[in-house]
Amino acid sequence: MGALLQVRDLSTSFYTQDGVVKAVERVSYEVANGETIALVGESGCGKTVSALSIMRLIAEPPGKIVSGQVVFDGTDLLKLSKADMHKVRGARIAMIFQEPMTSLNPVLTIGRQITEALEIHRGMKQSDALDEAVRLLELVGIPQARRRAKDLPHHFSGGMRQRVMIAIAISCQPKLILADEPTTALDVTIQAQLLEMLHNLTKDLDAAIVLITHNLGIVARYASRVYVMYAGRIVEHGPALAVYHDPKHPYTEGLLRSVPRLDEPRSVRLAPIEGQPPDLIALKSGCAFYPRCSQAESQCGEESLDLVEVAPGHYTSCRSVLKGERR
Amino acid sequence: MKSGNLLEIKNLKMYFPVTSGLLLSRKVAQVKAADDVSFSIRKGETLGLVGESGCGKTTIGKCILQLHRPTSGEILFEGMDLCKLSNNELRPLRQRLQVIFQDPYESLDPRFTAADIIGEPLKIHGIARRRAYRERVEELLDIVGLAPYMVNRYPHEFSGGQRQRLGIARALSLNPSFIVCDEPISALDVSIQAQIINLLDDLQQKFHITYLFISHDLSVVRHISDRVAVMYVGKMVEIADRDELYKAPLHPYTQALLSAVPIPDPAVEAQRSVIVLKGEASSPLNPPTGCVFHPRCFRVFEPCATVIPALVDKGGGHFVACHLYDSAYSSSQAAAN
Repeated sequence: MGALLQVRDLSTSFYTQDGVVKAVERVSYEVANGETIALVGESGCGKTVSALSIMRLIAEPPGKIVSGQVVFDGTDLLKLSKADMHKVRGARIAMIFQEPMTSLNPVLTIGRQITEALEIHRGMKQSDALDEAVRLLELVGIPQARRRAKDLPHHFSGGMRQRVMIAIAISCQPKLILADEPTTALDVTIQAQLLEMLHNLTKDLDAAIVLITHNLGIVARYASRVYVMYAGRIVEHGPALAVYHDPKHPYTEGLLRSVPRLDEPRSVRLAPIEGQPPDLIALKSGCAFYPRCSQAESQCGEESLDLVEVAPGHYTSCRSVLKGERR
Repeated sequence: MKSGNLLEIKNLKMYFPVTSGLLLSRKVAQVKAADDVSFSIRKGETLGLVGESGCGKTTIGKCILQLHRPTSGEILFEGMDLCKLSNNELRPLRQRLQVIFQDPYESLDPRFTAADIIGEPLKIHGIARRRAYRERVEELLDIVGLAPYMVNRYPHEFSGGQRQRLGIARALSLNPSFIVCDEPISALDVSIQAQIINLLDDLQQKFHITYLFISHDLSVVRHISDRVAVMYVGKMVEIADRDELYKAPLHPYTQALLSAVPIPDPAVEAQRSVIVLKGEASSPLNPPTGCVFHPRCFRVFEPCATVIPALVDKGGGHFVACHLYDSAYSSSQAAAN
């Protein structure tokens, strides 16, 4: 089965005054046609940077995609010319950003922001594009769409703006949607509405989704496979059920244990992961989770491991888990 | 006033005027951020307050602290109506009513050191000087799990979780009996959130503090609260003991809210059905007639659009404001089922 997207050994660094920040370090993942995968991790772990690297939206300088390949539908996006990349971005790969307030243009009407993509990528005439924009707005649940298309973003609530973002994302019928914390700024009931809608719309389009989030619950609801990131690297990945029920990395285990669950009896005390996420500038050799890890061995601090398959399709980079498996 | 209640909020209304015009500004509308809200907070408990953003949770917290002077209503703290007190009379009481803010990046003065931030309340209220002051600051750092050598650091030298610890130390400095925790963990990373929740738990036991815990994270609220209150567009729609509310939510909004919380387990999620509400929350600028929730409610029937439901005790301190549970409409309610 050929994957729709294959990210191979992608490394992206930022060159700052204080030093080199290795935001994404040798990250690989795959998305099949129509599949939903999740990138999970805390802020600063490189989830967003890896998505921006796929879209080639890393500001250069200070950033730079140091190495790797992003093979989409058979072509390496990192080798495309700027003009060719324009034809991919927004058309065949779309992105939904976290902040609907800052990612919409405040001085263009909502309608115009949708028709722009339609005119550029689908070669539509202005009037046809407007009709299509109204149809898309209706599709994402905006009432009185024809009238609202003339409004500016600040006339819309946060949830409404994110609906508009989704309308823009699906406007050119992309094969892949990168959804970067699509509902983080929103309330739970609105979040549920939007995710259901996004899920159904992409199913109709047969599009794949890379869901980037720190919310383990949302991932459990939608993703078939999960990649867990920590300090710029993927530390574990596998089928969602396996990662949740039998995590193979102490970080994943810690994350799952630290969030209270509504379906379980209330515990007296939460089990946090002690310590802080590391500073990416001062990253030492060895496993980045070593200082916070309860199962660490002295070797972990010296040398980090590459991902190894421990169960079908389930990979980990944890030395002590691997030892346990071999025993 | 019932014994055991630290705070009693009665018919609290907080309307913010919307003005128009540059020089001669006139009131053109009002935002009903809190509209006729009544509830009480028992001594030593944690009351969780949940609801969507903009529903008036923070406004309630600020009214209790008298950071907003309410439009009308009473806020009884140990029997005293805070709304009737002058600023001078309030000052000694402010020592006992403290707050922890949501964003530890914005709520700490970037030009103050850790010692200044924690110690400022001590200076203002003239509690401790010189050696006693230094000792108290170091003691507070220790209580919240920060090291003494950090006293001269500035906020930017701390991580998010550590900053929130500073905010907590500042709130504790005057030995308060009540703290409003306004989304204290929502700006923090998942792995840090549990650390702060445990700290708040410990402090409550150690110093017998009463919390009003404002949050939109229902899983965390269940973990930390003894009782839970649910707000929607300026109105209190349901209050109950924690286990009761999560086991048997009465208000359709609470039911939808709980069903929308995703559970971090794919096997469980595959079995669950989510109540997906229609539309968005109404604006407190122009709230709907009748029940504020009726435009989105999946069990709406005749009286909902016209009659405002009262918050009534359905037994055992489980309060709900919904016509479904009103015997006057019980026949039509059966029809709606």
